[in-house]
Amino acid sequence: MNTFTLKGTVTYAVFRVLYGHFVSLATTIGDIVRFGTQVIKHIIKGGIDKKVLIEQCSRFGVSSLPITLSIVGMSSIIVSMQVAGEMVKQGAGNFVGLLVAMLIIREDGIIMSGFAIISMIGSSLASEIATMRVTEQIDAIKVLKVDPIKYLFVPRVLSGVLMMPLILVVASVVGIIGGGIAAHLASGLSYKAYFDSVYRGLYLKDMNVAILKAITFGFTIALISCTCGYRATGGAKGVGEATTKAVVWSFVGIVILDLIFSIVFFF
Amino acid sequence: MSIEVKNLIKSFGKHTVIDDVSFKVNNGEILAIVGFSGSGKSTVLKLISGLIQKDSGEIITTGDIAMVFQYSALIDSLDVYENISFALHERKDLRRKYSESEIKKIVKEKLALVGLSGVEGKFPSELSGGMQKRVSFARAIVTEPEIILYDEPTAGLDPMSSTLIEDYIVRLKQETNAASIVVTHQMSTITRTADKVLMLYGGKIVFFGTPEELCRQETPYTKQFVSASLEGPMKMLKG
Repeated sequence: MNTFTLKGTVTYAVFRVLYGHFVSLATTIGDIVRFGTQVIKHIIKGGIDKKVLIEQCSRFGVSSLPITLSIVGMSSIIVSMQVAGEMVKQGAGNFVGLLVAMLIIREDGIIMSGFAIISMIGSSLASEIATMRVTEQIDAIKVLKVDPIKYLFVPRVLSGVLMMPLILVVASVVGIIGGGIAAHLASGLSYKAYFDSVYRGLYLKDMNVAILKAITFGFTIALISCTCGYRATGGAKGVGEATTKAVVWSFVGIVILDLIFSIVFFF
Repeated sequence: MSIEVKNLIKSFGKHTVIDDVSFKVNNGEILAIVGFSGSGKSTVLKLISGLIQKDSGEIITTGDIAMVFQYSALIDSLDVYENISFALHERKDLRRKYSESEIKKIVKEKLALVGLSGVEGKFPSELSGGMQKRVSFARAIVTEPEIILYDEPTAGLDPMSSTLIEDYIVRLKQETNAASIVVTHQMSTITRTADKVLMLYGGKIVFFGTPEELCRQETPYTKQFVSASLEGPMKMLKG
């Protein structure tokens, strides 16, 4: 009698791959939560190496600033150029600054900064820690009875928390100024009208939420990147896979967080 | 000051890598764990050092454990001084014990012990493989461990560097009186450093004796290992 079996079929292979992805996803999320909790405990306890923290802050903030400012500045200029001419024609020129400022403070500034940081810093954190993992440097740290989470994760995650709001503030200022210049050049809108409108569009709540979002994004990007690097296995291929995962998961992570922030604070 | 392993079992999935292994290493003694690739040698070290968890059995150790890794595993973002003093700076119990000037003195002493004075400011990438290995020796002994584990310490080194490393393994045993385990498949490392030899195959002990007994090739296993023959009871894992 013939017995039906799924084994060896395409369906079986597809489900097997999906199951593998699901297990990997579940364990990675578990690790992110576990390591995140440990990081928070270490930060509360204190005793963080200031030298390493300053090094990481410099890496997070200073080295990523040019690319972040370029991306946020350019996107503001593009938005301003697109809307200014039309709004001035429709008699709504006094709202161009308000629109650009609100867009940058609420969404564009932080999301664009987040993407720039993930590309530059998240990938670098993940590949650095993954390389340490596959070359047994993390094992050596463990055998020396030093907590790798405290030594590797805490300064990197804390630098994300500290530097991301600063990057956001600088990027937002550059974006708003860039938007003003673009609006003036595209539609002849006066700088006074633009910045008066910006002033009207800036609400304390928006700024507070933006800072909170920046802190959360900085924490999330650094934590996901470190975790993906820490979970790396194998050799060079493993480092590459960990870096890709860090970038993809950080993108997904901050978009989900952004949605949660929008629902909680603006819905 | 010793290592005692009783009925140790470790599996990865359905594959049993260490199957009911027991042995003891006293202080001032070096045990060489030998066997072909994939026989579970390095897994024993990882189990003793706590890097992986055992399934069952007992591992009794006394005092601090240090490990010298196959490819040195020096932290490449730190210079030699920072690598050797890493545990003294990062471990709370040791940070309180030593001042910075004392740490400098200890690092200098340990570097002199492995014949590498004056390289404190260099980064691992600026050192040869043999020098990196010796720096990792210095890093391992900085905490005055009672147990030292060496994972293939002479792998990938030229014969002269291997001899130098073997001499340092013996010297460290004499200086520290530590109980040491050397995982290797190099005959020179076995004969020049070990007091006892344990051979693993398929996760089981197939020989336990002195280096002289191993070289006498009195069992099919020792005969095949020493003569590096493909014919014998041990089958190579197919790649």
